[in-house]
Amino acid sequence: MKFNKLKRTIKISDNEETTQSKSSDSNESSQAELFVNHPEADKTIEKIKNHTGRINDLIFKKIPTDEGIVTVIYTRSLVEKMALQVMIFVPLANHINQIHQVSEKLETTNFPEILNRLISGQTLLYFHHTNMLLCIDTYSAPTRSITNTETESTVIGPQDAFTESLETNISLVKRRIQNPSLKNEARTIGTETNTKISILFIEGIVNKDNLDKINQRIDKLHYPAFSDISILKQLIEDNPLSPFPQYYMTVRPDSVTNYLLDGRIAIFMDNSQAAIVCPTTFLEMFISVEDYYNRWTTASLLRMLRFFGFFLTIMITPMYVSALTFHPEILPYELLLNLQESRSKVPFPPLIEVLFLELIIEVLREAGSRMPAKVGQTIGIVGGIVIGTAAVEAGLISNILVVLVATSALLSFLPPIFLMSNTSRFVRYIFILSAGLFGLYGQMLAFAWLISHLLNLNSLGTPFMSPVIPRKAADLMDSIIRFPIAFLKGKKGISNSKKK
Amino acid sequence: MSTNNRKILNGYHVIFLTQSTMIGTGILSLPQRLSSLGYSQAFVPLLFGVIASISLLPMIWISSQYKNDNLFTINEKLLGKPFGKSVNLFIVVHFTLFLAGIISNYMHLIQTTALSEQSSTIPVFFLLLLLIYIVSGGIKSIARFCTITFFLTIPMLYFLRWAIEKGELSHLLPLFNFNGSQFLDALKKGYISVLGYELIMFYFPYIINQKKALKHSLIGLWISIILCFITTLVSVIYYSEWQLKNIEYSVLHLFKAGEFTFIERIDIIGITFWIFLILSSAATYLWSAKKGIDSLRAKKKNYHTYLITLAIFLFVVIPYSREYQDKLFKLSYQISYIMLAWPLLLAVVHSLKKKQVKQ
Amino acid sequence: MNRNLILFFASILIMSILVGCTDKELKVPLEDVGMVGIMAFDYIDENSFKLTVSIPQFSPEAKERAQIFSVTTDLISKGIVEIETLSDKKVVLNQLRVVLINEEFARKGNIQKAIHHLYRNADVGNKVLLAIVKENGEEMLKAEYPDKPNVNIYLNDLLQPSINTAFNPNTNIHDYMYTETNPVFDTIVPLLEKKEGKIEMDGIALFKEKHMLKELPEEEALIIQALLGRKKLAPLYLELNQAEQKEELMMDLINSKVSIKGNKNMESPKVSISLHIEGTLVEYRGGREKELVNIKGITKLEHDINKQIEKDIKEFLEKLSELKVDPIGLSENFRMYYKGKWNNKLKEEVISNLQVDVQVDTSIISTGTLK
Repeated sequence: MKFNKLKRTIKISDNEETTQSKSSDSNESSQAELFVNHPEADKTIEKIKNHTGRINDLIFKKIPTDEGIVTVIYTRSLVEKMALQVMIFVPLANHINQIHQVSEKLETTNFPEILNRLISGQTLLYFHHTNMLLCIDTYSAPTRSITNTETESTVIGPQDAFTESLETNISLVKRRIQNPSLKNEARTIGTETNTKISILFIEGIVNKDNLDKINQRIDKLHYPAFSDISILKQLIEDNPLSPFPQYYMTVRPDSVTNYLLDGRIAIFMDNSQAAIVCPTTFLEMFISVEDYYNRWTTASLLRMLRFFGFFLTIMITPMYVSALTFHPEILPYELLLNLQESRSKVPFPPLIEVLFLELIIEVLREAGSRMPAKVGQTIGIVGGIVIGTAAVEAGLISNILVVLVATSALLSFLPPIFLMSNTSRFVRYIFILSAGLFGLYGQMLAFAWLISHLLNLNSLGTPFMSPVIPRKAADLMDSIIRFPIAFLKGKKGISNSKKK
Repeated sequence: MSTNNRKILNGYHVIFLTQSTMIGTGILSLPQRLSSLGYSQAFVPLLFGVIASISLLPMIWISSQYKNDNLFTINEKLLGKPFGKSVNLFIVVHFTLFLAGIISNYMHLIQTTALSEQSSTIPVFFLLLLLIYIVSGGIKSIARFCTITFFLTIPMLYFLRWAIEKGELSHLLPLFNFNGSQFLDALKKGYISVLGYELIMFYFPYIINQKKALKHSLIGLWISIILCFITTLVSVIYYSEWQLKNIEYSVLHLFKAGEFTFIERIDIIGITFWIFLILSSAATYLWSAKKGIDSLRAKKKNYHTYLITLAIFLFVVIPYSREYQDKLFKLSYQISYIMLAWPLLLAVVHSLKKKQVKQ
Repeated sequence: MNRNLILFFASILIMSILVGCTDKELKVPLEDVGMVGIMAFDYIDENSFKLTVSIPQFSPEAKERAQIFSVTTDLISKGIVEIETLSDKKVVLNQLRVVLINEEFARKGNIQKAIHHLYRNADVGNKVLLAIVKENGEEMLKAEYPDKPNVNIYLNDLLQPSINTAFNPNTNIHDYMYTETNPVFDTIVPLLEKKEGKIEMDGIALFKEKHMLKELPEEEALIIQALLGRKKLAPLYLELNQAEQKEELMMDLINSKVSIKGNKNMESPKVSISLHIEGTLVEYRGGREKELVNIKGITKLEHDINKQIEKDIKEFLEKLSELKVDPIGLSENFRMYYKGKWNNKLKEEVISNLQVDVQVDTSIISTGTLK
């Protein structure tokens, strides 16, 4: 019995789809004896059609039901057929009450609202008999399934990563924190794109000031389009001009969970994979969530490596420049003789030599990231080995420099946050230039700039360098050295509200 | 950071502001300045510490009478506008000269060690640019810079290891082998090295916990004094008396004593790293001088900083005779001693005024 | 704050432009710099000397591993400038490692002024080693050492501290300046002699005031090092000349400890020295071989060694006392308690009247693995 009816509706809908552009008087007449159309009915439908204009994937479908003719209106590209079947057509044909239970009533004359509903993937049901417009959320745009992350993969720990769907992402977090205090405030930003974002926080743990601040900043936004959350991030950062990212960005739900539990705020955006976590600190740019899964000894070692790796990567090649141009006396004798020998054929001054090789590495990296994986590998080998050795043999660069540049390039990929490794690359050029200008003095000058710049930075009003100058002594337990888990109780100082 | 009149400095900030302002170029040549005492100079910094602690008392007292005013405003309030302003102008000029002294001293050192073949004009320019950048962040960001400077530079003590290994402790004896005039000479020349704590009169209004300010600044002061003490101590055990007298930058030569297998000359790294100490003390002076102009013109403008910096730049770079330059800087050093006694005078004026009001 | 960032980016821009400009005119890249490794001074007459420098040659094509230039000059920097006209490179002193001074220069020339010059020069490190050369420094640099790749590295390695040449005081520029300007010390510098195809360290040169006074043999130099408190001493060779027979033995010293105490009395100065040495008996030749298997025998040997060393030290200190020199700094023990300014005259007074009380305590930890 049910099956039959289902079949019937499917049949009807098939018919309708092909003939929807024509006016369907024949259908109307067959049901006419039961229900009389409301006098406004045709006009309303006509008006909606006029307002939607040239949106071609908007579907109008007239269906005879137990309550007379119903026109189903939806956007084909945002609603999956299956969802439509289950949520609309089957109930329409069988239990029309269900529709009334789950739907929301809309004004038939409020056209902007109607349009908004339609373009956000909701399905409208217009009852010709009662001149009533109902609306059901059937938004079911195609999404990809949850896969593991490529940018932040870890060996230990959960492997799932966020996808581009806001709901999936929120669900990934909510299933980890099953607590009613976990709130998500939905908002819409982007004057043109109407992008949905969601602000997640745990009530009672989060700092209210921070929450107000982030809301204020989002309120002030006037930006047409958000194609990724990183755009939002750059717009609401404290210092947009700085080369340093001031908010944490991650695609790992476990990482977001950790930060939420520490009282941070996470922002998700529909259609973008990553989530913003704020406020954050400089040190956290070097913390991978895997540190908490590893033994504390290993984790501490890795953290130290990453943290000092950052300073090494911006110091190694500038050091080469300043040692060779300004202070040959700081190098040991034997090494210096080697350097002299390997540089004897090089036609450039050390500064140009370093810039040259650094640029080659950048080119390799950039080319490698654009190329398909299989070609990329070959290019990597060609670039790395062939160019490297050939350039040394041709006497364009010294072999010691190749080692240094390669090391510093590798070191620059240590931070788990990709934006940070980009930053380190940029900052390195400042250091190279200043080393070329004043040697070690220039390097220290640049270092002092770096430190004072970092000290000037804020992340959502809290100092970016927080754990280095700790707000709370206990923060040091989870800084460069990660103490055993039992020591890591309580929130970090950065998450607390300011002392008054 | 915000520069408006809010209480923003916590205890740590006060400690490290006091500490870092005291350690600049002075400590580099402290052993040489004290050399009239010969080997007996080792414990003199501790004595300086006592003197400094005592002279800190009236500063804190007068500042805590006017909780929201820095010395410039106090001057105006107590001495009347015209006289107060002229005193303030004097202080600003003094600070500018003093800063120029610090920077020219350091650049001189850099030029002899690290940048031997370059004129120092452009390096000075960049140093001042960075100084402006740090100062523009306001006193809190200076305080943070001071804090981090302390932790970054304190590992340099390790560089003294080799000098300590080679040195002979017997140099410390006999303990007080000097006469009064030698001591006075050393006091006059050497006390400059521990100056800088008097700046608390300028950032005092920004301190959150003003009641504990004395304690905090004393902690900072004694950290610096102990660092000075370590410097003179190691110098004494490492050098002969002739060397103490004739080596201008004895810290430089202490660093020269060491080497790693991969770095042969630690002195160059140490001296270039010293820029942090220079910046942290110069930034506080510059900030105070800027406040001075602010109060003179009764306006807060960023270009006041640039103005002072330009003056410093000209002082350092313009090639008038070095002799004259040195004289000028020496003069400003001597004015510093007046600065130490100044709060006493203010305190007297203050109590007199109070009596007047009561009558 | 934003304005400042713009300021900073602007300065980066200026910086890059400046880099482009300054590079040409000022900086000589590393490969065009000739870094002097060794400097030698040879005496000509009172006012002038012969300055020889050795610059390592890195190019694999060059036949000689070092370039050696000699000029006659009266000022060091003038000499360096003259050398620059001979060399294809810019001559710098950044990597100076060894300074050689020939004996004649050390005895007659103004060695103090030369070292002062280097000490003042900020380019030159303080760890430049000094050595006195018998005869001629230039010849030593120019000689062939067939089994050594480079005279620069050879000499530097030779003068570095090593366990078998523990008598070597490893005098560097700072040590020279320190002992030269310190009124309780007299300078000692290792002495080198060129042999066929090699260089030998042959005792030390003892200075008095500004000039070299005397040459001391290795054994005496070793005593100086022992009394200066050096922990690791060279293998000690001893001849025990007891009444009945001659004994020879070799000890590997593991540890030595010295404590020197003065009696604080300037009128009749007296120091008591107690030296404790620990070591293993490596080799022994003499009549007592059979007795050394038990502790009693060894104790007796220790006792004899003590006596011998005590005698050696005493003889040596008497010699110093006659010469009125003090390379060990024994007079420091009196300066420590002397109010007022100490000077060379006081030192000489102390040293010439010095009475010495030496106590040596040897302990032989083992006699090797052989019974």
